[in-house]
Amino acid sequence: MADAPAYAPFFGCMGAASAIIFSSFGAAYGTAKSGVGISAMAIMKPDLIMKSIIPVVMAGILAIYGLVVAALLIGKIDPAPGYTLFHSFCHFAAGLAVGLCGLASGFAIGIVGDAGVRATAQQPRLFVGMILILIFAEVLGLYGFIVAIILHLKV
Amino acid sequence: MGLYGSRGKGSYAYGCYASLVIIIIVFIAIGLYYMFSGRGGEFDVGWVLEKISPYSYACLGIGISIAFSVMGAGWGMFITGASIVGAGVKAPRIKTKNLVSVIFCEAVAIYGIIIAIILTQNIGSTTDEDWVENYNTYVYNGYCLFFAGLLTGLCNLACGICVGIVGSGAALADAQNGELFVRILVIEIFGSAIGLFGVIIAVLLGNNKKISSS
Repeated sequence: MADAPAYAPFFGCMGAASAIIFSSFGAAYGTAKSGVGISAMAIMKPDLIMKSIIPVVMAGILAIYGLVVAALLIGKIDPAPGYTLFHSFCHFAAGLAVGLCGLASGFAIGIVGDAGVRATAQQPRLFVGMILILIFAEVLGLYGFIVAIILHLKV
Repeated sequence: MGLYGSRGKGSYAYGCYASLVIIIIVFIAIGLYYMFSGRGGEFDVGWVLEKISPYSYACLGIGISIAFSVMGAGWGMFITGASIVGAGVKAPRIKTKNLVSVIFCEAVAIYGIIIAIILTQNIGSTTDEDWVENYNTYVYNGYCLFFAGLLTGLCNLACGICVGIVGSGAALADAQNGELFVRILVIEIFGSAIGLFGVIIAVLLGNNKKISSS
């Protein structure tokens, strides 16, 4: 069949892989960068550590977005005759959407988390502001997740 | 860093961009040559993707999974190890407790080898009749094994570097104040979960995707 060549699952699998790979890179960057900030400020204010783990948790959530989309896509990828190029490119786009948005969001969460926890240690009133900025950064990853779900449901 | 270091870094970046641009231009030029000589249908990316042997895809996936996982583990280990011994000069008490960070990095390598062994169970010899009958399934299984291995390797690369950087921060904080280590370990556990997600997806993708007759 011209519409369902044997190489069609390549792009579907690449979508599933991109979903988890790029969001893992974003989550890892967010965790590492915020972790460095937390380690630095923990010396001055050890009691603020548990509050400052919020950027790390938000970066972890990005990896979960990637995990969910990858698991959903894997459930739908099949070998050639039943799996057309339409399916495969939709799944590829879904994986790229959540992956690259998670990467960008992870970078934002990492840098804001690093600067935010260091500043909150010196000025406690900045905590709420840091959380607001982190929420906006997290929502970027959520947008990618939403687009991925829409594409996945389009089949 | 000085003059030598900054000049070296700049020329590496230009070299990488230049080689990437050259590769893309060569690819486009070959495609245009085929198109303008009336043989456009022969420039077939899909044919390349399909005709590369599924065994090649599967074995590349296996190799990549262990290679990049170990690279991530090693990278994390040297980042955290250098900080542990450096901070340990003035606070030698930290050396035993901070080995936990090194063990977290080792776990990343173990994830890679587990997935490589799981993926290896899926390949074996096939007969010609099986090949004709199951062609589409074997091609699909090849892709699945390749991407399962690739995603394990790259997720563990990210995870290993992340755990190493956080472990480095933990060692430096521990040297200042002994109570901080356990709290910063929580961040390392979040980092370690990233590699675990990669393992979960790789098992979902690569499990039972056999390219063998038995």
